[in-house]
Amino acid sequence: MDSRQVRRIRRNDRIARWVISVGGCGVVVCVLTMVVMIAGVALPLFRPASAVRVHARRIPADPGEAVLAVGLSDEGRTAYAVLDSGRVLFFDPASGEATQRLGLDGGRPGRGRLRSAHPHSEQTCTLNWDDGSASLIRIFLPAEDGSLGPGSAVARVLPLAAAPPESPPAADSRMWVTEQGHVLHISLLPDNRLRVRRLDADVETGDGAEAPHAEAWQEGRTEAVPFGRIIAFTADRHGEFLYAGTERGHLLRWDIGALPELRLLDAGAAWEDGTAVTVLAMVFGDVSVGVGAADGRVATWAPVRLYGPGSEPRLQRLHRLAPHGAAVTGLSPTEHDKSLLSLASDGSLQVSHMTSERLLLTLRGERPWNGFGLSLRGDGLIAVSPGGHYEVWRLRIPHPEVSWRVLFGRVHYESYDRPEFVWQSSSANDNFEAKFSLVPLIFGSLKGTFYALALTVPLALLGAVYVSQFTRPEVRNLVKPTVEVMAAVPSVVIGFLAALWLAPRVEEGIVGIFLFGLMLPLAVVIFLLLWQGVRGCRQAKRVERGWEFVALVPVLLIGGGLAWGLGPVVEGWLFAGDFRQWLFEGTGARFDQRNSIVIAFALGVAVIPVVFTIAEDALSNVPSSLRAASLALGASRWQTVRRVILPSASPGIFAGIIIGFGRAVGETMIVLMATGNTPVLSPSPFNGMRTLSANIAVEIPEAPVGGTLYRILFLSAVLLFVLTSGLNTAAELLRHRLRRKYGY
Amino acid sequence: MKTPSSIRQFWRRGEPGVWASGAALAAMLLGIAGMLAVVAANGVVVFWPHRLCEFTLHDGSRVLGEVQQWQDVRGGGRRVQLKVGNRDLYGLDFRWIEGADVAGTRFPCDAVALERQEYGNFYGYLAGVSAADGGPGDGTGGGWAALEAAWRQARQQREALERLQRGINRNNLRMERTRLRLLRLRHRGVAEDDPRVAGLLDRQAALQREFSQLVAQSNAAAVECRRRTARFVDSHGSEEVLPVFGIVRAYRPNAMGRLAKARFYLGKVGELLFGQPREANTEGGLFPAIVGTVMMVFLMSVFSFPLGVLTAVYLREYARDGLVVRLVRIAVNNLAGVPSIVYGIFGLGFFVYGIGGRLDRWLFPERLPTPTLGTGGILWASLTLALLTVPVVIVASEEALGAIPRGIREGSLALGSTRLQTLTRLLLPMASPGIMTGFILAMARAAGEVAPLMITGVVKLAPSLPVDGTPPFVHVERKFMHLGFHIYDIGFQSPNVEAAKPMVFTTALLLVSLVLAMSGSAIWLRQRMKRRYAMGSF
Repeated sequence: MDSRQVRRIRRNDRIARWVISVGGCGVVVCVLTMVVMIAGVALPLFRPASAVRVHARRIPADPGEAVLAVGLSDEGRTAYAVLDSGRVLFFDPASGEATQRLGLDGGRPGRGRLRSAHPHSEQTCTLNWDDGSASLIRIFLPAEDGSLGPGSAVARVLPLAAAPPESPPAADSRMWVTEQGHVLHISLLPDNRLRVRRLDADVETGDGAEAPHAEAWQEGRTEAVPFGRIIAFTADRHGEFLYAGTERGHLLRWDIGALPELRLLDAGAAWEDGTAVTVLAMVFGDVSVGVGAADGRVATWAPVRLYGPGSEPRLQRLHRLAPHGAAVTGLSPTEHDKSLLSLASDGSLQVSHMTSERLLLTLRGERPWNGFGLSLRGDGLIAVSPGGHYEVWRLRIPHPEVSWRVLFGRVHYESYDRPEFVWQSSSANDNFEAKFSLVPLIFGSLKGTFYALALTVPLALLGAVYVSQFTRPEVRNLVKPTVEVMAAVPSVVIGFLAALWLAPRVEEGIVGIFLFGLMLPLAVVIFLLLWQGVRGCRQAKRVERGWEFVALVPVLLIGGGLAWGLGPVVEGWLFAGDFRQWLFEGTGARFDQRNSIVIAFALGVAVIPVVFTIAEDALSNVPSSLRAASLALGASRWQTVRRVILPSASPGIFAGIIIGFGRAVGETMIVLMATGNTPVLSPSPFNGMRTLSANIAVEIPEAPVGGTLYRILFLSAVLLFVLTSGLNTAAELLRHRLRRKYGY
Repeated sequence: MKTPSSIRQFWRRGEPGVWASGAALAAMLLGIAGMLAVVAANGVVVFWPHRLCEFTLHDGSRVLGEVQQWQDVRGGGRRVQLKVGNRDLYGLDFRWIEGADVAGTRFPCDAVALERQEYGNFYGYLAGVSAADGGPGDGTGGGWAALEAAWRQARQQREALERLQRGINRNNLRMERTRLRLLRLRHRGVAEDDPRVAGLLDRQAALQREFSQLVAQSNAAAVECRRRTARFVDSHGSEEVLPVFGIVRAYRPNAMGRLAKARFYLGKVGELLFGQPREANTEGGLFPAIVGTVMMVFLMSVFSFPLGVLTAVYLREYARDGLVVRLVRIAVNNLAGVPSIVYGIFGLGFFVYGIGGRLDRWLFPERLPTPTLGTGGILWASLTLALLTVPVVIVASEEALGAIPRGIREGSLALGSTRLQTLTRLLLPMASPGIMTGFILAMARAAGEVAPLMITGVVKLAPSLPVDGTPPFVHVERKFMHLGFHIYDIGFQSPNVEAAKPMVFTTALLLVSLVLAMSGSAIWLRQRMKRRYAMGSF
């Protein structure tokens, strides 16, 4: 041969080896890194929060001016400080230079100095003047990207409401604009009573600086309470409830919906040991109230129907957050999730999330802080020390609502009566508490799988035994491929048949379905008894050589037909004609049309081919010498199967069941279509379920990329991946052992 | 004669166990057969014209429609479900009638069924056809023949209208392309007085003019089409004037013979395969879904087959057999069992948002934030499915290569051929039936999978096919329709599930037969291959 040609051939061979090796390895590596990539999306869920100090300077206030409240814009380019001189000072936090000063007294300098200022949500702030009057303002920071807010280039202060001076002045007071647009003014009077005033005026037009007539206010006062001095109070933004905490550690709640009447709803000890309540704040959503104590503990309370549905809700402690080392002096909710910021007298500031009870951040300043403000978006923090020094921090809290306990444990959610496993990822309003428990979904997956396997495993295994051991090879060569082809039936078709064809029929004839379980074995038994009469003849002998199943087809059809026909009769007889009604009245259980029985049949159709094929392989690969020996020793064919073949093939059969389990757990379309997709934790076969896989399909189109829900769905995909590939590996190892044992 | 001892022996020998396993097999086969029978029975009869039945009720009213089913009512009696159509008149297509209320039944020969562009079917009687100019016509005359003539004319008009519509679509496409080009130029900072920008602006203006012209023409044609009307009377006697143009098909099922019905049936099957969907996908054809499915499977094959075979060859022929290869083999086997939704979510996170989003920033920065590749599309769906089917191809190809006796490799190498030559001239040809089996199984799996597609680019109604006559002819970024998703969508998301059922059953039948034919042939191939090796190795 031409040496050049030989060289070319050699070169080609080398190139091919290289290409194939690199390509092969590449594909394998790519495919295997899939799980790494999915996990990579889910992992940031557990990334800890972080914070960096970006600026630390002194507030450019005049000497003698004390800082009462601070705030920060979203982009962090403007900050403000409310000063006791009755002014608000806007400054650039980076340079510490004042940009603007505005008077807060609405053009009437007679009001004098400010005693206290309480910032609330949406940059509103209650101002308590030392002449006993109070006002509510909204601070508009300059628009920073030209698109936000009222678009003004300069900061503005908008007076929303004002209350006239009074004497003796209230010890403290706060004002809110309620959801309905009313102004709520709550004052702690010197006689330790709380006064609630409500102004039913539209305040958003902004001309509330003018103090309205005293008559315009609706007013009510609490009774004097025997629980010690009231230290802290707050009210929800719906104007429904007033909360107060006392020095003896009591937490009080009044209904203030029907002024002038105030009804005391709750008066319980916030802490068992009577530690004083120092601060109260409503958590975002205004259902839970955060409570801070003199010894540094922080908890949230919410009304709960303790004594079952219909009972009066009573305040109960739902979550304990991480405690401080010293008395809590400040408590503030974030404005987009259920987090709470708490400041203690030792100057430490903690960010905790209510639902997950995670301590997200603990911050300490160079000097101990006594006040702080959060930007609207919640990622910027400004904190001040008594000397007028401030620090600006940038917070990164990626997924505060997620913890292992939230995902896998019972959590007491707002407006639930007890800690529960709940999955509810979204709701119509945005201040609701997201409920991310994967337990109902895992339970749903396992429940559907359990019912499916309970139905199909006996069927598929017995069928495999029959095909591999008792029937004739030509039947086997026909039946096995037929069942294998069934593995390819698209699950969407099975799901649609189950939901639109099977489910209504099961609902109609549920009793008939139960009768199947009774009638089919009965029909076979009766048939066998009759069979004894004809066993002698030649045709019958032929049937007993591997054609039994053909003879049984009409038997099963007759038995099934009888069961279906008798269903209504039995239903009328046992269940007064309506099983569903009977079930509801007898046990209180609902009957869903798309229930676990339907799922069992549908998933069964998907799983049977898998289990059958693998089990049949395992059974027919048992060396025929074993079988021959057993038969030669006088064992019958069934005895041979039970005592020799089944034990030998059991690892393979088990592997088949495991793989069937994996297929059923991961099946998406069938459960998506044939269950109601309600994430309930009920083992009842008459209810539906929502599985991990269907949940991904349902929720992922709505999940914002990179958000908590998106990542949790990836986490559930990881769970599915780990579960199924773990099971498959186990099955593979089992089969491997079997193969080694018998050397095929 | 039977003796008790022989019966006792029957039990002792465990024969009932054999029978029980036989019963399990029979039940299994019955279940499978039942399922296929339900799909086939419901799917096949959908297009066969049903007789129109007119019930006269005891209160004197008459109801005309297709009998759907008779049902026993709890507490005695029977009731019948009638498809009464005329959704625009009655609101609902279906009506239950108590059997006890029916006074008389007849099958009027002149009852007409109309398939309409909207509002579903109409059942009633023909009252007259207006003249071509839209005038009242001769009232009595013409009858069926006149309707047929008018309908044929309307069909021509519809074709003309469709041509105009296609023109408008083409114009829209050009306009969009011009807009994108302009966007790109502006994004690059080309000045407004640049000749390129000016040229595009001119073109845009010209296209806009052409567009308004076309729209005017099409509007005029549409008005012209609607002038020809036909009057019908429903079973209550109220009159309904319908434009002939809106009638897709008119037929008198009670007057049709078997042959006519068969012709009608074939016509409907033709429409199913080559027509466009109508009425929120519940009527009309499946053409876009079929094209989408085929195209997706084809694209999937392009990615999955070469890579799968390459990997199998590497694992079986080149890699040194050891612990690593065994682990990889187990891992690949595992991947075949990973739920498809996991692949789907991976496709979404990695292909769509990861690669697609990055390509968008790199190739089409001017279109952001409107995603081009960073949203679901046929390319990403195909890649996802390729990933899903690669393990199938690998396993099948590996098995096929492994089944080739060692002696063949040794003989070839001993005769001086290189490994590449052994591979290409001996091993691959010998393994080809097995590899083909893998391909077909992979295609069947891909055609039937829906869950991963739902989140990587399938839509219920795609405005244009992923392959068409405008360059670059294959549009991999487009969203597409799919038979499996079609089933899910019209069976579960459509407002009128009952009316959609026939379509769901036909789609399911089509998909099942497609997939079963594919995997059936794969298994047949495998059986044949087994036989060949069984003979060849001894």
